[in-house]
Amino acid sequence: MLEHQSMRLLLVEDEVEIQGFLKRSLTEAGYQVDAAGDGKSAERLAVEGQYDALIVDLGLPDQDGITLILKLRELGVTVPVLILSARRSVDDRVRGLEQGGDDYLTKPFALAELLARLRNLLKRNSSSSAEATRIRVLDLELDLLRREASRGKEMLNLTPQEFVLLEYLCRNAGRVVTRSMILDQVWGMRIQPDTNVVDVHIYRLRGKVDLDGYRPLIRTLRGVGYVLRDR
Amino acid sequence: MFSETGKTKMRSAAWRVSMWGALAFAFGTMVLFVFLHGFVSNDIQRRSDAWLSGEVEVLADVAERTPKDALYGRVVKEVAELASKEVPDRQKSDDALNNSVFFLQLAPDGSQALWVGEGDGSLHLNAIRSTKMAPDIPSDIRVTGHEIPFRVVSDRLQNGSLIYLGLSERDELRVLRNLRLRFVLIWLLIVSFGAAIVFYTTRRMLGHVRRITEAASRIGESDLSSRVPTTRRRDEVAHLAFTLNRMLDRIENSVHQLHTITDSLAHDLRSPLTAVRAKLEMSLTMGVRGEDSESIVSAIEEIDRLTEFLNKSLDVAEAKADALRLERVEIDLNEVLKVMVDLYEPSLFEQGLQIRLLSGEPAVISADAALVHRMISNLFDNELKHLRPTSTVTVSLHSFDGSALLVVEDDGPGFAREVLPSIFKSRAKGPNSNGRGLGLAFVEAVVRAHNGMIEASRSEAGGARIAIVLPLAHAEQRAMDVVEMTFE
Repeated sequence: MLEHQSMRLLLVEDEVEIQGFLKRSLTEAGYQVDAAGDGKSAERLAVEGQYDALIVDLGLPDQDGITLILKLRELGVTVPVLILSARRSVDDRVRGLEQGGDDYLTKPFALAELLARLRNLLKRNSSSSAEATRIRVLDLELDLLRREASRGKEMLNLTPQEFVLLEYLCRNAGRVVTRSMILDQVWGMRIQPDTNVVDVHIYRLRGKVDLDGYRPLIRTLRGVGYVLRDR
Repeated sequence: MFSETGKTKMRSAAWRVSMWGALAFAFGTMVLFVFLHGFVSNDIQRRSDAWLSGEVEVLADVAERTPKDALYGRVVKEVAELASKEVPDRQKSDDALNNSVFFLQLAPDGSQALWVGEGDGSLHLNAIRSTKMAPDIPSDIRVTGHEIPFRVVSDRLQNGSLIYLGLSERDELRVLRNLRLRFVLIWLLIVSFGAAIVFYTTRRMLGHVRRITEAASRIGESDLSSRVPTTRRRDEVAHLAFTLNRMLDRIENSVHQLHTITDSLAHDLRSPLTAVRAKLEMSLTMGVRGEDSESIVSAIEEIDRLTEFLNKSLDVAEAKADALRLERVEIDLNEVLKVMVDLYEPSLFEQGLQIRLLSGEPAVISADAALVHRMISNLFDNELKHLRPTSTVTVSLHSFDGSALLVVEDDGPGFAREVLPSIFKSRAKGPNSNGRGLGLAFVEAVVRAHNGMIEASRSEAGGARIAIVLPLAHAEQRAMDVVEMTFE
């Protein structure tokens, strides 16, 4: 899991409990994390330290999170920012930042989602290599051009939608994806249904992917989401 | 395009105002003129009658005194001719003899004794004979061959002979005709000029009103910060703009207040929820097993549900106050429905439910995508939660008259009679519902925020039917254009 060993993060969050939880979880996920509890110390740290990304809460005690980000931008700090907000409305300035390549996450969030967003931000920053045309996870193989999936020697008979869902799980193999992430990425919907729609899709997919005699790949993490085994 | 502009001008209030103004003005001046005309014509008549009476007396006097010899005719004739030159309002003519005047003397036996005037006087005599005339009172005599009547006055001499002095009403009528002609010309000129002035001033004034209306309609739902244009004048229109702006200030203020409240409420609730969720997630990753993990998982799920409930409640509250913040983009309802049906179909199937989507053509609306997605997912969640197996959900989408009609109906038990009237109120729930009663209130809030309409009723199959009408994106644009044109 220590794939980001070299990545350094600055976490700016004033609420001690959330700061502690995030610092610990991010460290566990392999990042080097420095934390700041207010805008001033965050500014000093961000300018001095060489960070790969910032995680900034909008509600800071001494100044507005956006003001801090804009100030840092003026000071030449160009690293991507993941904005955390407990506010209801999305500020126009946040929208501007979002268009500039930064991301936005509403509280409360699932840790898995925060990690996924962070990964995306860092990937965007490091200009990844060309798209692969095949994905391989253990004995599961996806041909992205022909939209075909196979398990070992057996071809899987998937609908186009199931293929997209499996592709998303494979791209995040070994990492937890939440239901909201699946709805957002696979169906393009930012909704929170209070019914089990995603679970039924996963259940159907599992019936086709985790064939008898093969090791089950799709794991449910109750209360969190799903993960496709990669080990 | 020209005729369009013409039509819009006809529709403008300025046109009506100037039309009615001009009409009232024209009618008033016409009445005034008729009155003046009567007065003037009476006066002219009176003056000419006075002249006639005077002259006939003079002539009678002359006829009386002049000896009845060969010269008598000449003397009376000359006097009569002289008199004719003093005719009031006389038209200059080259004729030596004024044909507008005649003098006639009848012998006591009734034969024509003397004639001064045009022709031989027999026609005039016939006309006089066929009319009953009182002496000394002027009366109108119509003579064959003359279109215009003569005003004739008579007098009886002592020897019993009658003298008649006649004056054509030609000059009098000409004066009146001239008066009328001039009046009509000037009247037409003034009325059209006045109408034009009224039209342009009203149009200018209404132009301010139009700009105010345009600005006010732009201000609408989301943009409350702009204001209607004001003028430097201190008239009613300026007052209207001023009052509107003050009203907008107040509205903006209270909407801002509401946003502040919902924002801080959201913030104050979400922060601890975040902390609690984080702790729960942490304990889950620390390897809690068995029953404990079960309760942690359900606690996390409860928190997520609570968060969604919080969001929905605040959305409903803001929508009730028409203060829901929208981020409009163009979305095709047809596409959204296809994806949504695809998403929900397996869950519905697992419950023994069927879903049919009746829709073909795209229906593009300008709406907040996230809210519309949540709205439709709420409708589908409702079906999933309340329908018994073997039921069918039918979703249909049609476009008509610039609107999209979305109907979600089923053949299940339908809405309970007692909840139907208050179905879109928050906390309205059926007797068997285990939800928080926010689903349909939220759906209504979203529809309302997008200027749509929603109706809940019994479907043909006896189940529940929800019909939603939303304005199509381009229809809205067209409606705006029509408004613009109307005020052109």
